[in-house]
Amino acid sequence: MISASDLKLTFGKGTPLENPALRGMSLTVNQGEFVTVIGSNGAGKSTFLNALAGEVMVDSGTIIVDNQDVTRLPTHRRAQRVARVFQDPLAGTCEGLTIEENLALAIKRGQRRGLTSAVKARYLDQFRSSLATLKLGLENRLGDKMGLLSGGQRQAVSLLMASLTPSAILLLDEHTAALDPKTADFVLELTQSIIAEQKLTALMVTHSMKQALDVGSRTVMLHQGQVVFDIAGDEREGLEVKDLLGLFEQQRGLQLDDDSLLLG
Amino acid sequence: MLSEIALYGAIETGLIYGLVAFGIYISFRVLDFPDLTVDGSFPLGAAVAAILIIDGVNPWLATGAAILAGMAAGAVTALLNVKLKILNLLASILTMIALYSVNLRIMGRPNVALLTEETVLTPWYDVGLAFHQVPVVLFAIVAVVCLILLWRFMKSETGLAMRATGANARMARAQGIATGAMVVLGVALSNGLVGMAGALFAQSQGAADVTMGVGVIVIGLASLIGGEAMITPSTVFRALLACVVGAILYRLAIALALNANFMGLQAQDLNLITAVLVTLAIVLPGVRSSVVSRLSRNKA
Repeated sequence: MISASDLKLTFGKGTPLENPALRGMSLTVNQGEFVTVIGSNGAGKSTFLNALAGEVMVDSGTIIVDNQDVTRLPTHRRAQRVARVFQDPLAGTCEGLTIEENLALAIKRGQRRGLTSAVKARYLDQFRSSLATLKLGLENRLGDKMGLLSGGQRQAVSLLMASLTPSAILLLDEHTAALDPKTADFVLELTQSIIAEQKLTALMVTHSMKQALDVGSRTVMLHQGQVVFDIAGDEREGLEVKDLLGLFEQQRGLQLDDDSLLLG
Repeated sequence: MLSEIALYGAIETGLIYGLVAFGIYISFRVLDFPDLTVDGSFPLGAAVAAILIIDGVNPWLATGAAILAGMAAGAVTALLNVKLKILNLLASILTMIALYSVNLRIMGRPNVALLTEETVLTPWYDVGLAFHQVPVVLFAIVAVVCLILLWRFMKSETGLAMRATGANARMARAQGIATGAMVVLGVALSNGLVGMAGALFAQSQGAADVTMGVGVIVIGLASLIGGEAMITPSTVFRALLACVVGAILYRLAIALALNANFMGLQAQDLNLITAVLVTLAIVLPGVRSSVVSRLSRNKA
């Protein structure tokens, strides 16, 4: 379970460029939930994810992961509980390292690293069988450099790496946005099957309202650093993009001006 | 061309600079941390070892102390960068400048002679090797041991974490790697190797001198880049091997240039030759590939 309460964060405080990114943001995600997060540019989606991961420190508020207050912990000390896939397919893996070395890094996520060999023989079967589920033939290319793989392949491996060890929450930051439509569909399907199989708790930021409704079990919309609505269950079933827009206008009493939310 | 003694001498210094190149490989290549501390940690290692040796300390222990001193210097540079957020290059220049004073303090004078002292080489003169072969054999053993240890380290969990830190720090943090600590460990390890090289250099040359660090960074880089041009560093092992091979070839090239009377070069031209060799090492691989592609295009 992950719980964020009353998160506030202002970038460039005291400067002319002062930008309040989070303004009292609160959200609780229960065990096994798959939450999709939408919102226009500048709504605070990425900042919220970065705050959960520890890449940015909030000014006030608390973040609880699995009953532990992690608000002041840096990224690497949250990594045991928080797994993450980035938007940039190149960001989640190391291109200079081999596929097996990347997986070996991920299998020790958040654990102590010693002086024993990183790529242990006993890992290899697990690596091969995990890679085989991608159906990309990567199970025979363990020794290849990551840089030889395409963006979509690398994003698929990133996803695999994030799910190699258990976590309290999986953060997906528009992880299909930088891929071509066909590859994006493949990665999204893979995401759904991994989350369903391993019963993961996940938070996925997306730019597409359609995707937000099609995928997951709950949808949250952010606006100006706050949650403006939060729907799940029956209320969410059968909801369409235009209903979502209506909901938004009703909530805020204003017109949504970001076309990108309508796409997809 | 080269006398036997000059040849062995070049290999001997090459092996020592191979250790420097290992250090520079860790900072520049593994961590992507341009570290100039080595110009200070090389004479630091020499100074620490020399002073301890003339105080009667066992030369191997003195060399060990030189490694620790080098590691401390590297840690200072890394902490300036990681904790105080000073630009890495600048942080290393600050430590390098500070070490000049520290080295003078340690030695108490600009140089310390070791000619009559017992060094790590002394016991080896009794094993039946020619006088000029002894340092080559000993330093080759040291270089091979360091190469194997470093290779194993880079393949270990911690070593892999260090490589990830330099390649993709954001991803490394997301995998739970304390990237700041990895930078401190890596830069310390790098300068520990350079400190050891300084200590061995002082013992083989018979003196430690406060100015002996000038240009060590360039020689190390020349060795690294030259080696990479000879042996493509596609694996850690090949990259480390390239360091040693590059350093030996570099010293041989220098010795040849200085010995070739027809060119009229003298010892004071050393830095000019170094700059030319480094330039060639950087440019030649590109020229080679463009020639290869032109040839293959002609064929087609």
